[in-house]
Amino acid sequence: MHEFLAQLINGISLGSIYALIALGYTMVYGIIGLINFAHGDVYTLGSFFSLAILGLLGATGELHGPALVIDAGLALFGAALLCGIAGVLIERLAYRRLRNAPRLAPLITAIGVSFILENAMQVWKGPSPVPFPAILPNPAVTVAGVAISLQQFVVVGLAIATMLALQLFVHGTRVGRAMRATAQDRDAAQLMGIDINKTIAITFLIGSALAGVAGFVSGVYYQSTWFFNGFGAGLKAFTAAVLGGIGNLAGAMLGGFLIGIVESFATWLLGGQWSNVAVFAILILALVFRPSGLLGETLPEKV
Amino acid sequence: MRSMKSVSRNLLAVAAAAGLLAACSGGSSGASRVAASRIVKIGIDLPLSGADASVGISTEQGALLAIEQAQKKGLPGGFTLRADPLDDSLQGVHSPQQGASNVRSFVSDAAVLAVVGPYNSNVAAAEIPITNAAGLAQIGPSVVSDGLTLGKAAANLRRANPARNAFFRVCTTDSLQGAALARFARKLGFGRIYVIDDNETYGLDLANRFDHDFRRLGGTVLGHDHLAQDTQDFKSLLIKIAATKPDAIFFGGVTSTGGGLIRKQMFDVGLGRVPFIGGDGIADLATVAGKLADGAYFTLAAPNAERLPAARAFLKAYTARYHEPIGPYSANAYAAAQVAIAAIERAIAAEGGAVPTRAQVLAQVAATHNLQTPIGPVSFDAAGDIQNPVISLYGFKNGTPYFISQSNLTTK
Amino acid sequence: MIYIYFLAAIAVVVVAERVPSVGAKRALYAALGAALLLAPLVDRNDSDYNVLADAGVFVLLALGLNIVVGFAGLLDLGYAAFFAIGAYTYGMLASPQFGIHLPFWVLLFVAAALAALFGIILGAPTLRLHGDYLAIVTLGFGEIVPQIFQNLTAYTGGPNGISALDFPSFFGHSFGQRALPYYYVTLALIALGLALARNLRESRLGRAWMAIREDELAARHMGINTTLVKLSAFALGASFSGLGGVVFAAKLSLVSPDLFQFQVSVLIVSMLVLGGMGNIPGVVVGSLVLTLVNSVVLPQANALASAVGLHVDFSSYHFFIYGAILVGIMLFKPEGLLPSVQRREELRHATAPQDVRA
Repeated sequence: MHEFLAQLINGISLGSIYALIALGYTMVYGIIGLINFAHGDVYTLGSFFSLAILGLLGATGELHGPALVIDAGLALFGAALLCGIAGVLIERLAYRRLRNAPRLAPLITAIGVSFILENAMQVWKGPSPVPFPAILPNPAVTVAGVAISLQQFVVVGLAIATMLALQLFVHGTRVGRAMRATAQDRDAAQLMGIDINKTIAITFLIGSALAGVAGFVSGVYYQSTWFFNGFGAGLKAFTAAVLGGIGNLAGAMLGGFLIGIVESFATWLLGGQWSNVAVFAILILALVFRPSGLLGETLPEKV
Repeated sequence: MRSMKSVSRNLLAVAAAAGLLAACSGGSSGASRVAASRIVKIGIDLPLSGADASVGISTEQGALLAIEQAQKKGLPGGFTLRADPLDDSLQGVHSPQQGASNVRSFVSDAAVLAVVGPYNSNVAAAEIPITNAAGLAQIGPSVVSDGLTLGKAAANLRRANPARNAFFRVCTTDSLQGAALARFARKLGFGRIYVIDDNETYGLDLANRFDHDFRRLGGTVLGHDHLAQDTQDFKSLLIKIAATKPDAIFFGGVTSTGGGLIRKQMFDVGLGRVPFIGGDGIADLATVAGKLADGAYFTLAAPNAERLPAARAFLKAYTARYHEPIGPYSANAYAAAQVAIAAIERAIAAEGGAVPTRAQVLAQVAATHNLQTPIGPVSFDAAGDIQNPVISLYGFKNGTPYFISQSNLTTK
Repeated sequence: MIYIYFLAAIAVVVVAERVPSVGAKRALYAALGAALLLAPLVDRNDSDYNVLADAGVFVLLALGLNIVVGFAGLLDLGYAAFFAIGAYTYGMLASPQFGIHLPFWVLLFVAAALAALFGIILGAPTLRLHGDYLAIVTLGFGEIVPQIFQNLTAYTGGPNGISALDFPSFFGHSFGQRALPYYYVTLALIALGLALARNLRESRLGRAWMAIREDELAARHMGINTTLVKLSAFALGASFSGLGGVVFAAKLSLVSPDLFQFQVSVLIVSMLVLGGMGNIPGVVVGSLVLTLVNSVVLPQANALASAVGLHVDFSSYHFFIYGAILVGIMLFKPEGLLPSVQRREELRHATAPQDVRA
């Protein structure tokens, strides 16, 4: 029981990072139908930006009090902002021209952009894993015999807060409404006077900023980053988005947490070498029985 | 019109069959002798892009440094020495296919007299038959799988020319390193160990050997797990391990495939005080784990580096040239290139300054005797393995490795 | 020298597809075929045939995937799994691993059948999924298969794989270590693959595939058994990669899980899209271009640069160059380098933005 809880908590912490990345995937897919393979690398970029900002602030070790709030806050918002800008630039330069091209063309540019970002980060910080300063003090509280660290609280808390903010934004603001309208029917939205280019750019801005938040969170949580991390994390986050029902924000979160928990439990019960097999096997089974994902609606076919 | 077209296709197929028959019975393999120029080359085949770049590039730099130094010093006969490095990653994954293709292109370039590489054992398994058939000397800096030089598996790789051995390595075999690690672990007083590996060729073989020998020496292996790929999170496995209360954790793998993160995450699940042991793949553990590396042990297949003048000189030259710390196999690659360079120089001298043949270089590589390298004196046995290997145990203090002890191993 | 083959083959296909006269087109292809067959009389460099045989395997894979993605419009992101199944068939049944030594020519058929079977096993429960959900199921399958080969060490040699596979032989002549015999085998298989792909496209089945690609609902109402038709595309496409896998494994004399990762599936999809999906000559051009870039230009970038007097170290920029090539071609030729005439017309006359989700 004790170990069960410990694995569950670990899975939720891991899953909250996947969930944050999955949100960006699902938003972009929902609005332009593109599997944005470069999104995982934007997440890694987030941890690199956080690292660079902390470096500029001279934060190399554990921080306390106001210094913690200011430095961590600057790193978090800085990474989110810079990633958001990167996302907008990527959309402008690599995807926008292809919006009406055959549907697989932007998929290939996304793969190309992913390679370019990975290489850029490799040149920036070297090909080996890079240490990330352990800025967060890490006392643990024991709940029901299971130690939960402050880091885990922060990781999960930040993820949930970000997701709630996103829900409010998408459902409560004009821009959010424009995004949903564009996702549903781009032509109709345009006819209704919505600026499609701007709406898509905002979608990339927010989705990439969330990846930036995930990058910061993973840096703080693992105290390490690597130019190639985005590949594996991106693949699993995308899996999470599909599992939850692509285009559906709550689904992406649910999918992210589920993938994290499955990975954690599979490692525990089957061994690490089977964890990826378990994740993808569950994905396939889930889709066989619920073809549009856990929370996805079965859309009527277009006739 | 369509039938015409398919007729012409059928003709193509028939002609292909005829050509195939001719190709099977036909004669010589590629290496057309280009007019003797004064350039000799050492081919380098390593994974240089994608995930494996983390180890591949620092390994390549070791070999390049040796070649640059030799070129600066000048070769006998006024030859120009060039490195010809090729990347064996395909789409970011080390690829036996690309490795084999690279080595075939070395074989077809008459100026290439020796090859340094590859990094991965399965890439080596694809390349050895090719260099064996061509008689091109190949020196592996880091491939430790037993079956590359020993037993029936190695004989199978050499079936094109069973009488000839063209593959050498300056690292030891995983069985020697794994066995030495098991003895060290017992000597350090560990009775109950949990074994992890990264499920890659190097890590899995090393961990299996350690697992086997540690039990044989009376130790208890609490469990043996393999890591998932493409993940940063090893806490789940560590939570499971913590429940078994091990004296130490053994890791078969390299820092970038999980070694560094596992060491760090051990602290998150209350295993921070448990020692962490591994092979030469975690010699650079501190680059990721920093001071948390303290309490970790690793072995190097070389005598105490602090007392070896060649090692000190190499370290100085490497950091001056590349402005970064050495990678786990930089010194090995430097030594492998030294072996190739020394053999080429001796072959040139024996030829009185004329272009040596590959057979002469190969003979000189096999005859390498007590060559002073940063990983100790190098001589090869008949299988192509290093003679009288020495394995040293190191620990970490303040994130810096320090020498503990060494053991001399006699070759089988 | 190796560049001449690639560039000449690409140039001939591109020119042949543009000339209006059928006779000239046929003459060009005949000349290309003859040149490829007779090349070994002139060029004795075995390394060239190794690269060409690798390229040939990828052409075969791309032709197979084109049936699934190009003809039937089913996005498959795990095609490398079938390639792995073909290769491991040879690895396990023609090697010292189990002491089984079945002949290469028999295993070609066995592997093609096995890959098709797995195509059906994967496809049967999942082909009713829509568009990208199918893509993700195939992606998952592509992740699972090599991982299973990696984990079942007792049967597959684990991460080390199986090495020293049998040399094939042809009427008692062993292929040995040379690449040239494999070059002829891939030429023959490509000829077979081209003929098959072309005939399929013109067949009833081919028209059914394209009907499904354009509008599945309409196709169903026209009385097409969509599940069966989609399954046949999956199975046929998979069988091509089964064939490719056997040749690939035999030439390398080794199989290991890292040869069949997700990146390989992505590579083959890139070949299709880059060349011109659905168009057979386009697919051939796409796979030749990317093989040239990946296996020749990038590994030798440094040597190439210094040959033209440029001393730049490209070794840390392989991904950058590759990524820039993908993005560049797609931005300027979104329909691919050599799209089908039909496709080109569609794009030219497309007045309103199309529904990208098609």
